[in-house]
Amino acid sequence: MKLVADCYCRLQHRRGWLLLILLLLLVVAGWSFSQLKVEESISAMLPDGDSQVARDFQLLQRAPFARKLVIHLTAADGIETDQLITATDQLRSALPAELFSNPLSGPEELVTGQLFRQLGDSLPYLADVDDLQAIDEQLTPAQIDARLAEALAQLLQPQGVALKKQLRRDPLQFDCLALQKLRHLNPIPGVRLERGHFVSQDGRSSLILADTQVAITDAVGGKALLDAFTEARQDLPAGIRAELVSGHPYTLANAQAIQADMQRVLLVSGIGILLLFFLFLRSLRALSVYLLPLFSMVVAVLVAAAWFGTLSGITIGFGAVLLGITIDFGLHVYFALRNGSGVETREQLLQAVSRPVLFGGFTTLAAFAVLLRSELPGQRQLAIFAMAGILAALLLALLFLPHFIGERKEESPLSRRQLRRHVYDRAPGLRLTVLLLWLLVAGLAGWQAQKLTINGELRQLSYLPTELQQAEQRLGESWGNMRGRALLFASAADLESALRLNELVWQRLGEQGLQDEAVSLAPLFPSQQTQQQRLQNWEGFWQQRRATTQDLLQASGQKYGFSPAAFGPFWTRLEQTPANIDQQRLKSWGLGRMLDNLLLKDEQGYQLMTLVPDRPELLGALEENLTRLPGITLVSQSRFGKQLSAEIGADFSRFISSAGIAVLVLLLLLFRRLPEVLLALLPVLTGLLVMFGGMGWLGLEMNLFNVVASILIIGLGVDYGIFMVCHGQQEEDLASSRAILISGMTTLVGFGALVLAKHPALHSIGLTVLLGISAAVPTAVLVIPAFRPKRR
Amino acid sequence: MRKKFLLTYLLLLFASPCFAESTELVPVLAELKQAAAETETLSSNFVQEKHLSIFAEKLLSNGRFFYQKPDRLRWELLTPVASGFVLQGKQGQRWNGLSREQERFSVETDPIMGMIAQQLLAWARVDLDWLQTRYRIELQTAKPVSLRLYPLDEGEAGFIDYLQILFANDQRHLSEVLMVEVEGDSTLLRFSEVAINTELPADAFAVPEF
Repeated sequence: MKLVADCYCRLQHRRGWLLLILLLLLVVAGWSFSQLKVEESISAMLPDGDSQVARDFQLLQRAPFARKLVIHLTAADGIETDQLITATDQLRSALPAELFSNPLSGPEELVTGQLFRQLGDSLPYLADVDDLQAIDEQLTPAQIDARLAEALAQLLQPQGVALKKQLRRDPLQFDCLALQKLRHLNPIPGVRLERGHFVSQDGRSSLILADTQVAITDAVGGKALLDAFTEARQDLPAGIRAELVSGHPYTLANAQAIQADMQRVLLVSGIGILLLFFLFLRSLRALSVYLLPLFSMVVAVLVAAAWFGTLSGITIGFGAVLLGITIDFGLHVYFALRNGSGVETREQLLQAVSRPVLFGGFTTLAAFAVLLRSELPGQRQLAIFAMAGILAALLLALLFLPHFIGERKEESPLSRRQLRRHVYDRAPGLRLTVLLLWLLVAGLAGWQAQKLTINGELRQLSYLPTELQQAEQRLGESWGNMRGRALLFASAADLESALRLNELVWQRLGEQGLQDEAVSLAPLFPSQQTQQQRLQNWEGFWQQRRATTQDLLQASGQKYGFSPAAFGPFWTRLEQTPANIDQQRLKSWGLGRMLDNLLLKDEQGYQLMTLVPDRPELLGALEENLTRLPGITLVSQSRFGKQLSAEIGADFSRFISSAGIAVLVLLLLLFRRLPEVLLALLPVLTGLLVMFGGMGWLGLEMNLFNVVASILIIGLGVDYGIFMVCHGQQEEDLASSRAILISGMTTLVGFGALVLAKHPALHSIGLTVLLGISAAVPTAVLVIPAFRPKRR
Repeated sequence: MRKKFLLTYLLLLFASPCFAESTELVPVLAELKQAAAETETLSSNFVQEKHLSIFAEKLLSNGRFFYQKPDRLRWELLTPVASGFVLQGKQGQRWNGLSREQERFSVETDPIMGMIAQQLLAWARVDLDWLQTRYRIELQTAKPVSLRLYPLDEGEAGFIDYLQILFANDQRHLSEVLMVEVEGDSTLLRFSEVAINTELPADAFAVPEF
């Protein structure tokens, strides 16, 4: 600590140089900010690396509807489905192509393509054992007779003109078996097709699906997208409503909510800080204390940008707010040098205050250092950012600030000094009351803290406007849960192995009776091995039954007047071997989009996706049966939320224990006596307990941001403890109580004002800090002196 | 100079029938429209004669047809297989006497039935505006009016070569429809006992009981 005093002496006459360094720092920072790359993605707050949660998050992003724009049109009573479809086409063509690419209001490719006929031709590759069994049951005399009677009736009707060719090549309607496989490719549960459009079962809703280049996290692009959508829908006829369901409206609503919150919070904080300034500081010199967090943040951004290259927007935003705590160091130095007493010189005062400031800083550093081990890249960035800022703040507070805060105030007259005596000196009986009250609050908080739960649901951190939630609810009511399916991935290095694995998944789903609820390529895109096996089965099947079937068809055909050559195309078809089913063939059938959605390729190989309902009991059964197989992964939104909660919970326990150990070690090094260490820990323990208890009592859940806010409480709480214990031990009067009180109040108006925010993440940070600091400050200022009065 | 004169003469010679046809068609269509405008209900029997290569012999069937303005239809074959459909608005029901099956349908979800219903309604209403959007119409004879229609839609032209329509002398309804398919198959419908604006039976648009 003597080093600090020595530095002060050496720099005492070089204030100009110090100012120059600070100016240089601002210039470098200005240049650095212009080069700064900021990533505006929530992915920074999700685990990375090789953790299960990180892998699951990457896989969830690949769900067919995860990045689609879904436009939901609904018709009011009295509006015909026809009008709805016309309005759908109108809106589709009004959407600007630069923002809404590949707009799709129905499976047009399927309707105009050759799918239906060609799919039937591929039946030898598609028909499994059950299908052959079904065909066998159709080959009885009675069934064949019934089919031909039906064919005759159809041919006599006007529609016979369109059906004639098909009846000649498939009189026994085997193609239906191939067509049935298509239903397993429908990712929209409640859809029917009308005039080539997606229409809901009740005919009151239609859909437009589109892609966009605008990233979901891009608020500016999102606004342009929403404005274009609003303009396009203006021309819709009365009674038809169109809503855009995607991540963009949420991003925009969140950005706007944060903007409005920040205006409100900054106003309240600004007024609060000004009030504190005029009430307690009342000096222009004190302004330098308020500049300290600004310079600390500049250094933090420079260091973090150099370290990581690209910074998360969340890191910068949250980190900048966190560094508001560095004002504490400045306040302690300011009050010690301006109001301190008990020693002769300014150097002695600085030396005395530098001990608790440095140790306070180191404990805060240690608390943030534990975030370096976080699974979340954003939290690791935040750790470096905060640590750089705190180190800078320590240097600035101890080496720079003392030169800009002016001389020590004159000793107060006796009467005023008397007044400044600690409250316990004036009313000793109050000590017991304070201790009892503290015990009562801690006990209550401990009791309520047991109710606290952890929630990893990312949506909980977002502002979810009611109208957007209602739009999503209406989409679900009309179409089923199209955006919230669980995904089963079958992965392998080559396509053939991935297809075989996908078949295995499909087979297991069949064993559990889940195929009807699943979406999979397996029924339409079997592996080559399976295709060859089925072809053999098909040929063997017809070798045995061809002659008999031919006789039966001839006899029944004659009965209904069909010519002997009527079903020639059917027999020709049976003799031909169709081309294998591969990606090209599926695309030629108009299934390219579905193929792209369900078959993915990356550097590691191929992945085939199966969509299943996201129901806990179902996922449990699948987990047991499927995910033990190598190459198969199951991910779901609901499971992801739970995994993330578990991860946050584990991270949190690790942080608290690591930070606890680090703080304990530093406190032992500083005080070397257990009672002092325990006393110094009182504010932080009380702060955390009240924070957890308050959250439990209010029914709030612990989220990602509360974890970081807890670290803040730890850092600040320990600082308060160190200062008060040092204050009790030292002969010098460093005006610590006053510094802590103002520091606590500054934190409360700075952070606590966030409680006024509408955005849930900001609100929860505000509330957490409000609870924690409101408990830590009185514990430091009143409870520590109650246990250990200042040495006189 | 003689060559030029000859060329002009030939052009006029070949162009004149087309010109004559198109100018004749317009008033004929206008007359047909006017005659059909008063039709509220229509009932008729018909004989259907199908010459299809898929059958060993031509297929003869008898049936009946009811129409009530604006969008109610019954198309029914009585022999050799009792089958047919009724349509009320966009919803319909069809039946097959052989399999004794009845089935509901919607013209919105069944594209083939949608197309058939649209066609039959257009002929019953003599909706020439709609027909002109779907077909290139040629006048074959003016008295009685006989029209030949060539489909404009590529899909329809894939299996229908042309339709030949013969109107009754009073021009208020169809008398014969001949449909010739691209592959040579044909269907001839002859309408008889046509009654216009008479009261239809109570069960005209009801599905028969099996």
